[in-house]
Amino acid sequence: MNASTPIHGIVFDILKFAIHDGPGIRTTVFLKGCPLNCLWCHNPESKDARVEISYLATKCVGCGACVAACTRGCHRLTDGMHIYDRTACVRCGGCAENCYARAIEQVGRPREVGEVLAEVLRDRPFYETSGGGMTISGGEPMAQFEFTRELLARARAEGLHTALDTCGFAPQARYAELLPLVDLFLYDIKTTNPDRHRELTGRPLDLIHSNLRFLSGAGARIFLRCPLVPGVNDSDAELAGIAVLASELEGVEEVNVEPYHPLGVSKTERMGYAEGYSAPIPPPEYAQKMTARIAALTAKTVRRS
Amino acid sequence: MKKTNRFDEDQPFLLRKFREPVLDPSTGMTNEEIRQALAARVSDWDDLPRPVGKARVFEFICDNMAIAIGPHDLFPTFACHNRHRRPFDVVKNHWDGILNQRLKHWNDILEGNRVGRFMLWKDFDHSVPDWDDTLRLGFAGILRRAMEAKAQHAANGTLDDDARAYFDGIEITYRCIHRTLTRFADLARAEAAAEDDPRRLRVAASIEAVRDREPRSIYEALQFIYLYFMFSEHIDFMQVRSLGNMDRQLIGLYEDDLRTGRDTEEGVRECFDYFFMQWISINNYWGQPAYLGGTKADGSTEINALSYLILDELGKLRAMTPKFQLKINHNTPRAFLRRALAMVRDHNASLVFICEPGLWRILMAHGASAEEARTCDIRGCYEAGILGKSNGTGSAHINLLKAIEFALNNGTDPVSGTKAGLETGEAESLATFDDFYAAVCRQIGKTVADGITYTNEYEPCLEQVNPANVFSPTIRNSLRTARDGFARGCVYNSTGILFIGAATAVDALLAVRKYVYELGVVSLAELRDILNRNWEGAEKLRTRILNDPLKYGNGIPEVDAFAADFCHTFASFVNGVPNARGGCYRASIHTARQFIELGKRTGATPDGRAFGDEMSKNASPTMGMDRQGVTALIRSMTTLNPLDFPGDFPLDVMLLPATVRGEEGLEAMEALVKTYMERSGWAIHFNIFSPEELIEAQKHPEKYEGLQVRVCGWNTRFNDMDKREQDAYIARALNIAD
Repeated sequence: MNASTPIHGIVFDILKFAIHDGPGIRTTVFLKGCPLNCLWCHNPESKDARVEISYLATKCVGCGACVAACTRGCHRLTDGMHIYDRTACVRCGGCAENCYARAIEQVGRPREVGEVLAEVLRDRPFYETSGGGMTISGGEPMAQFEFTRELLARARAEGLHTALDTCGFAPQARYAELLPLVDLFLYDIKTTNPDRHRELTGRPLDLIHSNLRFLSGAGARIFLRCPLVPGVNDSDAELAGIAVLASELEGVEEVNVEPYHPLGVSKTERMGYAEGYSAPIPPPEYAQKMTARIAALTAKTVRRS
Repeated sequence: MKKTNRFDEDQPFLLRKFREPVLDPSTGMTNEEIRQALAARVSDWDDLPRPVGKARVFEFICDNMAIAIGPHDLFPTFACHNRHRRPFDVVKNHWDGILNQRLKHWNDILEGNRVGRFMLWKDFDHSVPDWDDTLRLGFAGILRRAMEAKAQHAANGTLDDDARAYFDGIEITYRCIHRTLTRFADLARAEAAAEDDPRRLRVAASIEAVRDREPRSIYEALQFIYLYFMFSEHIDFMQVRSLGNMDRQLIGLYEDDLRTGRDTEEGVRECFDYFFMQWISINNYWGQPAYLGGTKADGSTEINALSYLILDELGKLRAMTPKFQLKINHNTPRAFLRRALAMVRDHNASLVFICEPGLWRILMAHGASAEEARTCDIRGCYEAGILGKSNGTGSAHINLLKAIEFALNNGTDPVSGTKAGLETGEAESLATFDDFYAAVCRQIGKTVADGITYTNEYEPCLEQVNPANVFSPTIRNSLRTARDGFARGCVYNSTGILFIGAATAVDALLAVRKYVYELGVVSLAELRDILNRNWEGAEKLRTRILNDPLKYGNGIPEVDAFAADFCHTFASFVNGVPNARGGCYRASIHTARQFIELGKRTGATPDGRAFGDEMSKNASPTMGMDRQGVTALIRSMTTLNPLDFPGDFPLDVMLLPATVRGEEGLEAMEALVKTYMERSGWAIHFNIFSPEELIEAQKHPEKYEGLQVRVCGWNTRFNDMDKREQDAYIARALNIAD
């Protein structure tokens, strides 16, 4: 690439000390935008590729700084009560910038590859002692392909271990391009039933499966990441399907079971979304049970993520 | 010792031992009766040379105290069970009063403490014997060596009156110890015979053994350590701030025990259980220190079978005390480190990880040889001392936030209204941030200078109040020089000055720089008035400052560099300044509980802190202000220069259980310790809780009897804290969960 044209991505979080996103202590870079629309999504703020504004009323101190900052009249104070009307909002972030109570926050901002890499590299001493590195997650990192490729390439040039957390829904040629830059794919499998997959995620399963087979065949190291929601995608047939995939594909080293957590629910309100899926937290033994059921059907390592 | 299976049955009795001791009144007086008897004749020993006078008091206590050999115990019972009401302090306080009358600045000390510009107290009892030597000598050997030294002084013509008094004090004390041990042994033999109890016979034999010679088994060694501790700490009023490098010092005896069949592994484990129960029963708030590990001269680890055994038994008892420091290096076996980390994660022991590379570098920078650094003792919470050659006192705790209050108020303390600081100019006259910063530095410098002046007045007189008759003969240099071991008889006699609230002070200074001098949101005079009103009417400004990310602990290079400069500045007021005991002052960033106590006396500060709130602990960020996670915290902390803090340099890490669950979690904790070690850190310890767990524990204490949290260099039961302290822990947990 041309060094004079910096590549920007919409990044919504850079999480340090991530220890469940690949080996060792890692920094996980979360990108906005996802082609899937999973029923239970625990990062609903990552679906939309654009910058968004979150507002948490309980933190508002009613100072009116947002009212003054907004050029579109989205914020108003009525009897000391703050009303945020999103209809005219263009997500410029001016209100968030002025909200020192941190009630309004901008979710996602354009960041240049070099700037993100610099932040990731700050924790290099921890990667060295733990065998960790950088993970790119989302959203779906492939949705910001150019940024993802460049960040991976430059991280690799710095000698970092790289992992890519992907839902598998992207053109195969792009995975081919990333193959030499990724040490570990964290590959999401939501269900192995094609009809269910379309119902639960809004997208077909074929491309995801063919990309997985392609990566395995091309020598990639893969951990399957399986979010399991009680009564939604944890039928015997679906668990068996995961085990079959793991057994058949040489590249799959591990299956990671991720029990449902209603993290997305509290975020829905502050993002101004319509109410989404909500179910109780499964009991602690749920993860163990699911892990054991899949493990009974495959020789590959199966564990809770 | 053969397996008895009696420990479980004995444990409740052991737990009560130091709380409600069971004594035979026919053997002597209770703790309180001895205190009353001493109070009635408190001036009787004033005219004797102090070491002799104290030795006579020691004799009075030992010869008159009731004793017992508990049927449920391997260690004898002393009437002097209550370390908060030790009999000698009746006389010590009397002698201290005599000293105070001679101190020119005694009232200034009291006033400074009242205002909270510092907390200054006389440290009369904070020492560690040379355990290597004493374990080779036993009680008789210690006295014999002292008498040989006395003869040498006589031959050299250096046995002047002071030296004679010094040796007389030791001789009277150790002869009394011999006599007392005989009382214990005779009682044990009599009771063993009367009740046909072979165990008490064994107790008797172990006491006689260490009375007459060096310990030759694990049980004898533990008996010796316990007895030394009791004679020194409970009777001679001289704390034993470490039970020693237990795995290294005792491994030879352990191997001999097993090889000769004198004892079994099971028997040794049980010995340690009874031994640890003594301190569990004593239940000092700050715990009883001891340490494990280290590095041999050939570079290999000191971790051995006994290290694992000790961890096992601590875990089994879920013992908060003894608290163990673990010397960690690149050579430390992973299995050991991981076992210790897993125990910390499960909150079932009070452990701190001491990183040798950084510690050695600091000790060598302050005068230790490589060998002295390698073999150093770990004492108290995480402090280090040269084994057998050093004694460090802790003197003044400097309140850094009070200095900021003084600078804002031209030397007046806004809480008490007294002119307690320097006149560095009214806020209206401090035109630039540099003017303000210079005023703060001058205020700190003045507080430190006063603390040193006052300390120098009393430190030459330590042995006039509490001569160290039990401790002195354990130190070779003390015998060689005939100088009191605690006061000035060590090779290294340092005095610690502890700085309280460093991170909060950094946050406060940066807030002043930004909001007063850069943004001009308020003037310094307005800010002063707002703070003196405890933020009343300025809540929005307070919220804004609290939410400003410009805080220490977040790995922000600009902030951390400022913090490093500031720390170097105030540490430089202290390090290397000669003290009055032939050594020098040393800066420490360890706060003990003073971050809470001094916080209560300190008004609102520019970082957003309210009047009375606690300030930052150790070198940690202000509570709730570290929002970037543990890696950023470690980067911030290791930007400070540990060489500035030869007193100690501890890092507190709080983690959520969910983030460190499973094998990956343990590996991550291991990597944190190793990274901190590679970045020249010294001590690192953990609190691992979820806010939900703490909130539940506050609501239902009965369900969380065993829940321990780490305070400073020690653990305490969550249930034992007051609500305000509990709330602070919950707030910390909520902050990292956010």
